[in-house]
Amino acid sequence: MSKHTGADAYRNNRVGPVLRTSEITEGVIEAAQEDNPEKEIRVDDKIAYVRIDAEGELILRRDTLERTLGRPFRMSELEVNLGSFAGRIETTNDYVRFYYEKTL
Amino acid sequence: MALLERSEWYDIARATNWTPKYVTDSELFPDDMTGAKGVPMEKWEVYDEPYKTSYPEYVRIQREKDAGAYSVKAALERSQMFEDADPGWLSILKAHYGAIALGEYAAMSAEARMVRFGRAPGMRNMATFGMLDENRHAQLQLYFPHEHCKKDRQFDWAHKAYHSNEWGAIAARHTFDDLFMARSATDIAVMLTFAFETGFTNMQFLGLAADAAEAGDYTFSSLISSIQTDESRHAQIGGPALQVLISNGRKEEAQKLVDIAIARAWRIFGVLTGPAMDYYTPLTHRKQSFKEFMQEWIVGQFERSLIDLGLDLPWYWDQMVNEFDYQHHAYHLGVWFWRPTVWWNPAAGMTPDCRDWLEEKYPGWNDTFGKCWDVIIENLLAGKPELTVPETLPVVCNMSQLPICAVPGKGWNVKDHPLDYKGRTYHFNSEIDRWIFQQDPVRYRDHMTLVDRFLAGQIQPMNLMGALQYMSLAPGEIGDDAHKYAWVEQYRNNPYQRKAA
Repeated sequence: MSKHTGADAYRNNRVGPVLRTSEITEGVIEAAQEDNPEKEIRVDDKIAYVRIDAEGELILRRDTLERTLGRPFRMSELEVNLGSFAGRIETTNDYVRFYYEKTL
Repeated sequence: MALLERSEWYDIARATNWTPKYVTDSELFPDDMTGAKGVPMEKWEVYDEPYKTSYPEYVRIQREKDAGAYSVKAALERSQMFEDADPGWLSILKAHYGAIALGEYAAMSAEARMVRFGRAPGMRNMATFGMLDENRHAQLQLYFPHEHCKKDRQFDWAHKAYHSNEWGAIAARHTFDDLFMARSATDIAVMLTFAFETGFTNMQFLGLAADAAEAGDYTFSSLISSIQTDESRHAQIGGPALQVLISNGRKEEAQKLVDIAIARAWRIFGVLTGPAMDYYTPLTHRKQSFKEFMQEWIVGQFERSLIDLGLDLPWYWDQMVNEFDYQHHAYHLGVWFWRPTVWWNPAAGMTPDCRDWLEEKYPGWNDTFGKCWDVIIENLLAGKPELTVPETLPVVCNMSQLPICAVPGKGWNVKDHPLDYKGRTYHFNSEIDRWIFQQDPVRYRDHMTLVDRFLAGQIQPMNLMGALQYMSLAPGEIGDDAHKYAWVEQYRNNPYQRKAA
């Protein structure tokens, strides 16, 4: 999460998808790195789920995912494997964005 | 024919508010049912659901999800999981299905209330999908355990639990009635979809999926994580409802609903998920401790979202986080001790290696909870198992419906938090549980805990046999130690020595 532990561990700004075990996980990680070039993408693999996050905002674009997955991809397909996510979400046909409005 | 992208038609299609001519608006949408708290219809027009879908997309995606869950089940059906799994793991499955499956049907009713009485068109739209989701969850979680019924009657409790007066079922019903069956559409959006689903269901459906994958139960891991992808979408019904309430001066009311929901969810997950993660899951398959999962999902992720939406931490925040260290240990001790009264076989999780792990994850465990287990082990080794089952009744909390319990041994802090209200004394596990009661005493005052019913003579004969009959626990269903006490032998002539630090 962050350097904070215990009751104040909510003081973090990490946002991003939590994917269940799936064939798209590697492609999503690659796309996250490409689409958020200024950010350090953290990957926490818990086997049954993988937490992919970045500070403040993380965008996944359809075009990029089609390239990293090597196949046509509709943005709504992300839902099949999106077990959870940190932050708020914005869903469009061309991208999905995870973000927080406030910075703690 | 080329189809328009969803974003090109969605806003128009969703605009379904209208001005009624034949009835008044308040007849069509009574405040009791909408829970709009006086915020008028036009103020809800700004409600914008962040996680959008459309019916064609929904059908296609759900079909793909179901194909995945069912194909994993079919592929592994001959894998002998049932025969090979640790008995503690099978207990997790039994507890899970019984406590959850019909609760999903209840959640479907709640979603249906938002479909009809949600004040915002977007809320009604997304709740329609949410209603279908919850129906899917109930059906999946009745179907998956069904194959085991012929081998083990306890699996029949996937369907039976909520139809019984078993104590865990009473606690679950009381909680879910309060959070979503007996609430208005707006309250459901806040308490069920926001607090319960963006928060706590992640613990049981993703946290536990991690343990399931470690334990090799890929069918269960795939099933529950698939269910959580639906939750992840329809849980987003709550956020924009909170924003409408807050921007129209209803923050105090919204905060109170969230605070009640978090507190109640914490208790029920403490008794269900806590023992599963820290005791029933075989030691080598534990991905993280229950406390670590709580830190990850509830503190790090859920509370952070709550602050982003403009709410505050619950007033009891520090106390609740403090309880992460002990409350579920106390519940586990109680569930194991009262093991004839549950529909699964509680795993003690009490080998010397387990105790080392507990000490590492929860420093001081051996000086507190360990002291009680020392006595249980001593009695079992002495051939006196009758001393390890209850002869008295617990004091049950009038809010959680769970025994009032906390830290035993050197850290003793067990305390009743009573309240006299109109000639009756109510008992609570903590000031948090008591506070919930005080917010709406009329709502809670007439409910009788299982122990209240016993003392009122409703349970006859007034002994364990009568209680088991009242709880509909038949022979073959009554719980016992998951490993038939085999673990106790590790202590014969070899008392537990704490591993040197």
